[in-house]
Amino acid sequence: MNRPTRRQLIKTLGGVAAALPFLLDPRRARAFDGRARRAIFFYFPDGIPGTSADGDPSEWHCTGNENDFQLGPVLSPLRALKDEVLFFNGLSMGGTDSGSHPGGAVKLLTAADHGNGESIDQYLARTVGGAAPFRHVYLGAMANVNNASGDKHISYPGPGQSISPEDDPVRAFERLFGAGVVVPPAPGSMPAPGSDAPSRPDRRKSVLDVALADLNDLRGKVGPAERARLDIHAESIRELERRIDALAPEREPGGGGGGAGGAGGEPAPTCDAPQLAAGDLNQGLLYAPDRFPQILQLQMDVLVQAMACGLTQVGVIQCSIHTSELIMSRFPGTEMFDAGYDMRSHQASHYGPRHDRGRREYRDYVLQRTWFVSQYAALLDALRRRPEGDGTMLDYSLVFCGSEVSDGNTHLHDDMPFLLAGRGGGRVNPGRLLQYGYERHSNLFIAMARAMGDGLGAFGDNSSGPLAGVLA
Amino acid sequence: MKTTLRRTLLPVLLSLATACTDAGGDASPGSADARTGSGGAGGATADAGTGGRAVDPDDGVPALDPDDGVPAPPPGTVDGRSLYENLCANCHGLHGEGAAGPPLTRSYQRDYLAEYIDARMPLGNPDSCDARCAAALADYILGDLLAAPPPDCAAPQPGPRALRLLTRREYRNTVRDLLGLGAAEAVPGGDACAALADCDVQRESCVDSACVADPCETHTFLFDAGGRALNTVHVAGSFNGWPGTVAAGGWPLSFDAALNRWVLKHAIPEGDHSYKLVLDERDWIADPGNPDTAPDGFGGQNSVLRQHCAAAPGGGDAPAGGEALELTALTRDVPPETRPRGFGFETHAGAGVATSIHVEAWLAAAQSVSARVSAQPARFAACLGQPDCPTVFIGDFGRRAFRRALTAAEIERYTALWRGQADDTEGLAATVEALLSSPNFLYRSELGEPQSDGTWRLTADEVGSALSYGFWATSPDAELLNAAADGSLLTPEVLEREARRLLGDPRAREQIGTFALQWLGVDGLETKTKRADMYPAWDPALAAAMLEESRRFVTAAVFDEGGRFDTLLRGDFSFVNDRLAALYGIPGDFGPEFIRAPLTGIANGARAGVLGHASVLTTSAHSDQTSPIRRGLFVRERLLCTIFGTPPADAGGVPDVDPSATTRERFRQHTAEDRCAACHRYIDDLGFGFEQFDAIGAFRDTEAGQPIDHTGNMNDVEGLGTGTDARFQTLPELAAVLGESQRVQDCFATQVWRFERGRLETAQDTCDLGTVQARFREAGGDIRELLVGVLLTPAFTWRREGEP
Repeated sequence: MNRPTRRQLIKTLGGVAAALPFLLDPRRARAFDGRARRAIFFYFPDGIPGTSADGDPSEWHCTGNENDFQLGPVLSPLRALKDEVLFFNGLSMGGTDSGSHPGGAVKLLTAADHGNGESIDQYLARTVGGAAPFRHVYLGAMANVNNASGDKHISYPGPGQSISPEDDPVRAFERLFGAGVVVPPAPGSMPAPGSDAPSRPDRRKSVLDVALADLNDLRGKVGPAERARLDIHAESIRELERRIDALAPEREPGGGGGGAGGAGGEPAPTCDAPQLAAGDLNQGLLYAPDRFPQILQLQMDVLVQAMACGLTQVGVIQCSIHTSELIMSRFPGTEMFDAGYDMRSHQASHYGPRHDRGRREYRDYVLQRTWFVSQYAALLDALRRRPEGDGTMLDYSLVFCGSEVSDGNTHLHDDMPFLLAGRGGGRVNPGRLLQYGYERHSNLFIAMARAMGDGLGAFGDNSSGPLAGVLA
Repeated sequence: MKTTLRRTLLPVLLSLATACTDAGGDASPGSADARTGSGGAGGATADAGTGGRAVDPDDGVPALDPDDGVPAPPPGTVDGRSLYENLCANCHGLHGEGAAGPPLTRSYQRDYLAEYIDARMPLGNPDSCDARCAAALADYILGDLLAAPPPDCAAPQPGPRALRLLTRREYRNTVRDLLGLGAAEAVPGGDACAALADCDVQRESCVDSACVADPCETHTFLFDAGGRALNTVHVAGSFNGWPGTVAAGGWPLSFDAALNRWVLKHAIPEGDHSYKLVLDERDWIADPGNPDTAPDGFGGQNSVLRQHCAAAPGGGDAPAGGEALELTALTRDVPPETRPRGFGFETHAGAGVATSIHVEAWLAAAQSVSARVSAQPARFAACLGQPDCPTVFIGDFGRRAFRRALTAAEIERYTALWRGQADDTEGLAATVEALLSSPNFLYRSELGEPQSDGTWRLTADEVGSALSYGFWATSPDAELLNAAADGSLLTPEVLEREARRLLGDPRAREQIGTFALQWLGVDGLETKTKRADMYPAWDPALAAAMLEESRRFVTAAVFDEGGRFDTLLRGDFSFVNDRLAALYGIPGDFGPEFIRAPLTGIANGARAGVLGHASVLTTSAHSDQTSPIRRGLFVRERLLCTIFGTPPADAGGVPDVDPSATTRERFRQHTAEDRCAACHRYIDDLGFGFEQFDAIGAFRDTEAGQPIDHTGNMNDVEGLGTGTDARFQTLPELAAVLGESQRVQDCFATQVWRFERGRLETAQDTCDLGTVQARFREAGGDIRELLVGVLLTPAFTWRREGEP
């Protein structure tokens, strides 16, 4: 692409967040203020080795008490991050569609029986995350394979309405950091001060204003279902207008303009020269199983950088899709690797009635799930390596991890494999094991929303309030 | 009390469960995964069939063979109602309306239902309900519980008022037609031709005497030797391993005397590639017809080929070449369409929403379009320079963009935008961008207007759009717009005349090709992985060829081969190129072009219709083995519209590849256990009949050193529980059984109905769907009559306020 990019702009401006006040929300320029600044939802398919049909104990869930507990074997990659994570036993998604992958996938983030509602990531994007240039960032690794239908995806802007993730990290990066439609002219080609040359962003705004006016007219003619849909559309237009505003070339580089986020060494995550080392990855390789680890790593990299630069506060990372055909035995350099045998995610999840490590399905299943946990750990680590305020990005984040079923073989929706990492700006005190008896996971989402400063009272079906023990 | 019970009992009950299947969605072909498990844990196998039959009062219990049937309980001994309330109501609802489990319908065959309950219900603890209990439940469910009057088909049964977001395909086509770009070269079945030279050689092939647009993946290599006598010209590059000779894998060009050029059309994998032309296997030169070059590291230049068809999986469908390629780029950043569970097509009306990613991508696309308009403003706005140009242009272009006349307020709004710009060129550009960003462009309206009886009825403009998007996936042409504008389109005669006119246009062929791939569930084929050591032939070019075969075959069956549905199943011909001919073992000389070939010359592994298409056989197989389950489900779900519930919790996985056992042996366990057999006897026995074909659809006669047993059984074709057997040895035999089935034909009508209406049928649609199916039957299974009929039923134009 020839157009100047946000990335180039960032480089030109000196490569530090201090030079990008307009990208940063000034409200965040305070120390550990008891408010989570961002939420990430990390999804992997096909469950975990939970309690087996024959009663073997879960290899995921922790044992012990709140402050003195042992990680399940599958969680071993989190050993070094144990103090950063809240572990849960006994959270349930309810009985609806229990025993089913698709049923679990639609309930996972909606917490609505039959999945017929807005998902929590979309709710947060619309509320506390609504001022960011990108309200919501949904990235996938091989998550659109086979033209997956709606029930394969986990993010629902409205009842029965799903969206599809971006599976290409290079395009995701370009969309967030440059080459997008709202990119201003490169600083060198900006109109000279005082020039009357019409600026492209202005025309875009007037074009979008007309679209909004048409939308408003149309809104008056439709019923409630379509009205809700048009409202999402209208908010999407306003979000794009905010991006245009945020990047309007109206100020001297590094100068006054909008917020004061970077001034005076105020705390903010560093946002230096975002880049993506995609190597030889190209579109023809986006569904090659041996590329999955690379693609996932890149997507996490994109999301962390976007958040560091204040481009978004809500992100979803989706690894493949439920009942996944992903051939994990092709992941190079892993213990799962076997050039002579194709072991798929969903295939391994049906390991049989017992935890029999002598059986190939089970052995691989444990390795696969441990690998997904290691990727979640890498995401946490990336957040922890970036300073923010008086701590790290992880300190100001909430990072959920989950799958659509508990044990992959019994497909139960009870005792779900959920984790929540980060301190949420001091609102959450991790490093503990919390135990419940069939408590609905919707309450965990309410707690997350509260930690982000939203007053959410009820979510999905059968919620009762913020999950006890989560909020400090 | 029930909730508490569930909490304590459910884990216990489920922990009792033990194993079956290729489980869950995994068992379904392609995106059909979505269809399994709509019932979730309740998992009832709902042989929903086609809506028209669902509540047909005549579709009752067949005469029972006393040995087959589940005995009815002696009257008075078991109370079906109390059994139901104790064992079933918690999941299926007190009135069968569904709760944790799926709703119950009267479409179940009584015996089948009894057997199913006996084998599988209650979930996880089927032993708690024996045959007698199950029979009583079946009688109660189909009797008192669901006793409901049949719908009154004389009363209007309107569908929901809706806005339908343009699909990426519809968006591209609409822009193409709005600007008058590449219309002639972009659709298949265009100009008549005798040879390639009669067509636009860069982007079309001459197929069946018609110039047909090449698929996006196909690149045309053209070389003018300038009179030099050459024996061979071949392409060598990063995509084929730089072979020095044709024998080593070089792609040979052939000399076309009419063109006086060497020519080759070949599918190119996605991505950036470099290549050279090799003359007489000796002289390596950069392609003189390709200005895009890069240093080759040896002091010379490589030609560079950038292939970007797959904006996303399923996105590589736009016509190729010149302006058309630019159209493909227009929607590159628009996210793929989403579909709800159980819906096979990209045309779902309610699933999609406009995120800011959409809005930004559409705005970028609108800017590309306006840049094009600005480059030749006089071509697109002849009035430019005249004072009333804004209103003239907005009135005309806007009417075509919105598919209706603009209101005065709208004209004023857009005129103000135009006049607010620096000059007319800017004003024109801003206006085009705004019109293409408007919801009136991005959604097609099926809202209707209120009627005195409280219902709503589609306007003539809306009916016009429904026709053009239904048949062409693009906006109405001038004739249709005019028929809408004067209201004549609302008369049945004009409506039918227009429907037939549209169907006769080449653009309808393209639309049927689109439908075909989604109907078959093969539209994600290019993302499939196969083991290279087992299936060395598998590559992107072969995948593209498989899709092209299905697209061309269905299109030809509908338009060129008599149009009968039967042909889709039993047609003894197909369209193949060299790759597919080799895969199928079709004798003869084939090149990269697709030609119609009889299948009768195949020595081994007879094929018929779509059942033998490599696209279907490959999609419904794993990376390293076939899947009788997926293939069985392909027939049951795609061709018979049967929906199976989720396999039991703790179903088993795919059996290991055992070098000493055949697939049939390894999978046999599925039908061994009663509770698995409840469903799998309808899936596996059928799927085994495809075992002559490996995981990429090539013929094989042995597996694991043993001869293949490819006996299949298309049992109960007219409905689960009807107790029929139909054994077959070959795909033509299976096709014959299916071709004679009323149910298969009705299901096809259902699929077309879903594709066109953009939603799944509900109980509300029973009469409408029944009308469509009946018309299809009366027309002797003529698909063209079905296509016309589906948009002509009275129910289509009636609407009601949808549920929020």
